[in-house]
Amino acid sequence: MSSIKMFEKPLGMRDTFPQIFEKVEAVRNTGRDFLCRRGYEFIKTPAVEYFDTVGKASAIANAHLFKLVDGQGNTLVLRPDMTTPIARVATSKLLKEMIPIRLAYFASVFRAQEAEGGRPAEFDQMGIELIGDNSVFADAEVIVTAMELLKQFGVEQFKVTIGHAGILHCILQDYTESVEQQNILRALLVQRNYVGFEEAVASFDLPKTKSDALLQFIEEAMNVKEIQDIEKYVRKNDALEYMQQLAKLLETANLADYVAFDFTLSSHMSYYTGMLFEVFATGSGFPLGNGGRYDGLLEVFGSEVGATGFSIRVDRLLETLDGLSDERQEATVVLFEEEQFEAALAKVQKLRATGKQVTLQLKSSLVDEATFLAHFTEVVVVGQEDVDGE
Amino acid sequence: MNELTIAMPKGRIFDEAYQMLLEAGFNLPEEVEMSRKLMLEIPEEKIRFILAKPMDVPVYVEHGVADIGIAGKDVLLEQQREVHELLDLKISTCYIASAGLPNTTMNEIAPRIATKYPNIAMKYYKGIGEQVEIIELNGSIELAPMIDLADRIVDIVSTGRTLKENGLVEYEFITDVSSRLIANPVSYRMKSDRIIDLVKRLKRCVK
Repeated sequence: MSSIKMFEKPLGMRDTFPQIFEKVEAVRNTGRDFLCRRGYEFIKTPAVEYFDTVGKASAIANAHLFKLVDGQGNTLVLRPDMTTPIARVATSKLLKEMIPIRLAYFASVFRAQEAEGGRPAEFDQMGIELIGDNSVFADAEVIVTAMELLKQFGVEQFKVTIGHAGILHCILQDYTESVEQQNILRALLVQRNYVGFEEAVASFDLPKTKSDALLQFIEEAMNVKEIQDIEKYVRKNDALEYMQQLAKLLETANLADYVAFDFTLSSHMSYYTGMLFEVFATGSGFPLGNGGRYDGLLEVFGSEVGATGFSIRVDRLLETLDGLSDERQEATVVLFEEEQFEAALAKVQKLRATGKQVTLQLKSSLVDEATFLAHFTEVVVVGQEDVDGE
Repeated sequence: MNELTIAMPKGRIFDEAYQMLLEAGFNLPEEVEMSRKLMLEIPEEKIRFILAKPMDVPVYVEHGVADIGIAGKDVLLEQQREVHELLDLKISTCYIASAGLPNTTMNEIAPRIATKYPNIAMKYYKGIGEQVEIIELNGSIELAPMIDLADRIVDIVSTGRTLKENGLVEYEFITDVSSRLIANPVSYRMKSDRIIDLVKRLKRCVK
């Protein structure tokens, strides 16, 4: 190990420079305004939680948690996601006041990185949680909100793929012969290893009708345009009806064009018992966000009211937005000499009153005037503007 | 129609995979001179090839600078990247195995394993409950047992000739390897029509 240099930061931690800060702030404001108008109330939770509560309940793998120990010897974690702390605070307090409850957040989450050094270990997430409404309308509301939020940001080229843990479970159960086989196949789907799925099916030595059905399912289920296409694989069940209803609701909301169904979608977390979805957009190589129904997580915290929500990664959203707008902000600087301070104050006050962003700077303090002034779109030198007959 | 960027490994796999694309009916030039080029545009099909080191193909695809790519299963297993594995092209087939000098047993305390694939080797020996020390090398792995750097090597075997020529014998089979078609998760959604069409056409050409 080489020694740490004075300017270094822990692995995966990043500084946010003014330019990016402004972009993040713009995203936050747009998102906050948009979500507030839909009745979502913003909430903040501590950055540090107990490992035994939030750490264990979180969907994020143990290896990715930042852990610390407090004075009493308890293991603590930096929050790895926002859904788990919100489930904690909702079940312990907020649900006693209002059901269903709509909460929103814009917060940084922490995930330790082992792979390539530069990947962010702390990043902002924006999202919502709708807790205490079990209906398909709540799920529709969450998906519609996610899509309209993207549109609000000017993102037009995006896709939301929706699956359902119940349907996948039903198919795996019907066409395999043991729980182990189901688990193997589910694990391969979490990794998106379709080749491995086919190999595994072949190795199970299933009756031909079953293995054929599984192989055909995997080919079709990844990209389903109409729910009807999947009906032939699944015996009639609640999950299927649920998805049909959801599809109709999204059609009613005029958003069906952005939707694809993928019934191979699977999460490594057993909390996702119902609908789940992922959000993709052109411009970032990584998924923008994801969401779904996580009734199981609420049960961990002792509530059975059910919950659904989504989150979007702000850094990836910024990548997507990068191509869309990049205008330079107007900025004025007022330069003054020591004896002109009073005049300078009056000048900046006048300029700021017109809504301009104005910096006040003593001229003699500048070491490299040209470099400094290059950051501004307008330069005013006190004493000179009057000569010009302003 | 969207432009499709395909990351291809240089060398023998490129030729085989390119041949498959021709067979699948893609309108590509029959002969390509690939000696020094890093990029190849096919405007007729709106396809762009990026030529990369085999180990780098999954990197390009994971980051989405290539929509799809062709990568060996060995590389996929070693790097565990977030890509969709769509199709086994069944070309460049070989396997990963452990090998060493004939009639030797592994050091009982902590046998040393030389390999280009530290993650695959670690996972394998962990899986059979063997504590080992992994030594990562970048080439000429067969040298390691001969000069007593390692008890065993974990490497790719295709015909077994290289092992034989260096006086090594195969001990344990670890996993099969062949070239796979992989896709970036976002491209798979945003360009689903093109990618699914390509998978369907290639699937018919898999032997």
